Amino acid sequence: MAKFDLRNWIVPILILVVGALVLYPIAFLITSSLNIGDPQLFPPEEWGVGNYLQLFEEPRIIGNTLLVASVATVLAVFFGFVQAWILTRTEIPGRERLERLMELPYYMTPLIGALAWGVLLGPKTGLGNQFWRSLGFSSDFFNIYSPQGIAWVMALFEGTVAFVMISASMKSMDPSLEESSRVLGASKFRTTIKITLPMVAPGVLSATIFVFAEMLGSFAAAFVLGIPGRFYVVTTAIWESALSYPPDYGHAAAMGLSLFGAMLVTLGIARVIMRHGSYATITGKAFRPRPMDVGAAKYPLMGIAWGYIVVAVILPLAALTLTSFQKFATVIIPQMQFTLANYEQAFTMGSLGPAFFNSMILGISVSTLGVPVIGVIAWIIYRSNMPGRILMEYVVMVPQAVPRLVFGLGLLWAWINIPIPIYGTLWLLGIAYFTVFLPLGLRTIAGVVLQVDKSLEECARVCGASWTHQMRTVTLPLLKPGLVAAWLLIFIASVRELGVSVFLMGPHSKVIAPSIVNSWLTASSELSAAMALLQTLMVFIAVAIMFRVARKVTGNQT
Amino acid sequence: MTATPRIEVSDLVVRYGETTAVDGVSFAIAPGELVTLLGPSGCGKTTSLRAIAGLENPYSGTIRLNGETVWAGGKGPKIPSEKRGVSMVFQSYAIWPHMTVFENVAYGLRVRKSSQADISANVARVLDMVQMTQYADRPSSNLSGGQQQRVAVARAIAFSPTVVLFDEPLSNLDARLRAEMRVELRELQRRLDITSLYVTHDQEEALAISDRVIVMNGGKIEQLGSPEDIFNRPVSRFVADFVGSANMVEGRVKGTDPDGTMVFETKAGTQIRATAGKRDGKLLALRSSYVHFGGNEANAIQGTIHRRMFHGDFIQYVVDWPDGQLIVRRPPTEMLEEGSPVTVSFASDYCVLL
Repeated sequence: MAKFDLRNWIVPILILVVGALVLYPIAFLITSSLNIGDPQLFPPEEWGVGNYLQLFEEPRIIGNTLLVASVATVLAVFFGFVQAWILTRTEIPGRERLERLMELPYYMTPLIGALAWGVLLGPKTGLGNQFWRSLGFSSDFFNIYSPQGIAWVMALFEGTVAFVMISASMKSMDPSLEESSRVLGASKFRTTIKITLPMVAPGVLSATIFVFAEMLGSFAAAFVLGIPGRFYVVTTAIWESALSYPPDYGHAAAMGLSLFGAMLVTLGIARVIMRHGSYATITGKAFRPRPMDVGAAKYPLMGIAWGYIVVAVILPLAALTLTSFQKFATVIIPQMQFTLANYEQAFTMGSLGPAFFNSMILGISVSTLGVPVIGVIAWIIYRSNMPGRILMEYVVMVPQAVPRLVFGLGLLWAWINIPIPIYGTLWLLGIAYFTVFLPLGLRTIAGVVLQVDKSLEECARVCGASWTHQMRTVTLPLLKPGLVAAWLLIFIASVRELGVSVFLMGPHSKVIAPSIVNSWLTASSELSAAMALLQTLMVFIAVAIMFRVARKVTGNQT
Repeated sequence: MTATPRIEVSDLVVRYGETTAVDGVSFAIAPGELVTLLGPSGCGKTTSLRAIAGLENPYSGTIRLNGETVWAGGKGPKIPSEKRGVSMVFQSYAIWPHMTVFENVAYGLRVRKSSQADISANVARVLDMVQMTQYADRPSSNLSGGQQQRVAVARAIAFSPTVVLFDEPLSNLDARLRAEMRVELRELQRRLDITSLYVTHDQEEALAISDRVIVMNGGKIEQLGSPEDIFNRPVSRFVADFVGSANMVEGRVKGTDPDGTMVFETKAGTQIRATAGKRDGKLLALRSSYVHFGGNEANAIQGTIHRRMFHGDFIQYVVDWPDGQLIVRRPPTEMLEEGSPVTVSFASDYCVLL
């Protein structure tokens, strides 16, 4: 009967633990945003909405945020639309390969992108600007330390997200809708204007809003490229208020929660448009896309499609590589001095070496301990009929909705005020990573749990297996691919985590991403380039393993 | 055939990479005819239709519409879909959800730059024909399957095309509605004298609505003929099996009667008189609905009722006879008990040697 006791207790215990991890920091955020007394005190002595009103005293930050997010969104949706159209609707050579490569910009992260473009188009010293000046121009070609620069870097990254959403809406469109227009006598051009565009418009619109919401909450690019020029958006302003001395938690929390609210509203609008405005989902069928014959135009189109990959992945990585092997980064060949010192330094200098080690440890332990726990949670939510499972799903998904940086702020404030001495240790980072990656893990594992037909498990029970025996012999083997994918995704997310880490990292618990930023802001760009490449390498190795595992699994099933 | 065929296809071959979907198909359709391409899925019937519409590029062969060459083996003319002047009803209907019913139907007219008055008059005329007049101003996104089907037909005929292609237009409707629409489509086609090429995998539908039927299998034409021909005189085992219900008996021709009737001896030694088909045929096809109980046809053989299944419109009997089991379909009025001895008889005209 002990087994039954375990099953009765497991849901309340998990809800309690997960609920505390997720909701406690948010409760702290809310209370401190309403604290208008001494910002260091908890619980507050004076309550009020002063912190929120203060937001309107700095309209420049709101203006900056909206400017950067708007420009970046327009660019990202343009990139995504063009790529989606070329890769799903036209017949160009190497289409499948290009479609696979379109995932790469996503794994590049905005942080690496920002560093690389800093190296490329930083004022005066940027490789591109050096080259420009060497041609005889007296000013920079482009200063990446600008609102436009931040928007450019974010757009290259979010372009992939827009691509995925828009190409999905293009693929779900019945090709006979266009064919019937052609047969009835309309030209290719008229068909595009009258049929194709109106059909994909809702998908493009919801992608636009979704990307805009993500842009509002994005941090890394504005951090790397905005801080040197003292150009602040909401996220960097939050970071500034929370970590300046004396910290103004109330102000930071109010900004964070306002940002959260703004994102929630925009994402809500995107969802409504998705659900009610989309024609493509009427049948819900997936169609064999019939790409059109574009004749000789296929080579220019292929060039455009490759152009995005080059600009978003290859050029930045090449710039970082070139920089990381030089003493002083330059594109003027006679002045180049090649060295391995930057890589040596990355491992030896002060606290940098431990940062790599710490990130590895955190990545491995958070995924290894997190995946079984999230697996059990996923099984309870999607497979059991235990009471409270719906509530649990909501609680687990909360960190998804809160911008990472805002959640980090809540975690910081919450764990400083707790009488367990783990602030500034890896333990706290581990707990924080687990909390913020709960939704990622749950979504990945849920994808597989929902695919496994319930009757497979029921059959095992009918055949006489006990619950544990059934889990061991049927459920877990079937879930294995999802669990492996979740492990790798959490690992990848951990080693490149920035938003939470900037708040929780202590002098003895350095991790990679914030260390790279620190070195960028205070030390040399050559060293930062080396570190950024090492981090990218870690991520790409994990991605490669993930694709190999995924291919093996799908190969076995067919 | 004196008039120029509306559609003329010769030696059509369509390939997708390594696979050949259509493998040397030729036929011609006269003005006003309704011809059906019938066959199982993957037989190349839809691909042939799409090639005629200009939606697939054939590997070789020529396609002529109203005497004009629109495709000639990749060389010479390559007229795009929109310039071919044909019209088409799609299997998924392809009703544009972002337009009203009126706008959907008016599309072909607008493309042809008809005057506003013409457009209104023609749309009203065809919507009336398909009994959708009251839906003209509705958004087309929440029409039922049957209504979408009607709009698709109205849209296809609104600009008075001479040729309309139908790609399994009724396959997404339920059985009752399908039977109803079948009658309406045939009525409309006759009334407007529209030349039609119609793709279906439903043999009953093909037989019911067509002037001629083309049975396809594996990218090739198995048989081309009137519905009666296809049903009564199948030329291959495939056609006999695919269209209607047929009994197959193995054996060979032993001799010929003075009047020319062939005498076919089955493996079990039964002699059957047959007048149709090949002299060297090793297989005798006999439609289950052409077999009587009792009677005095040219062939009469003793058997026993093994099983009786009541289908409503007919009764299907399984009769044990010297060559195994014979399927017999009789009207529901002819009720015989299982186990009772019977004489099965059938005319020599309906015994086809394959």
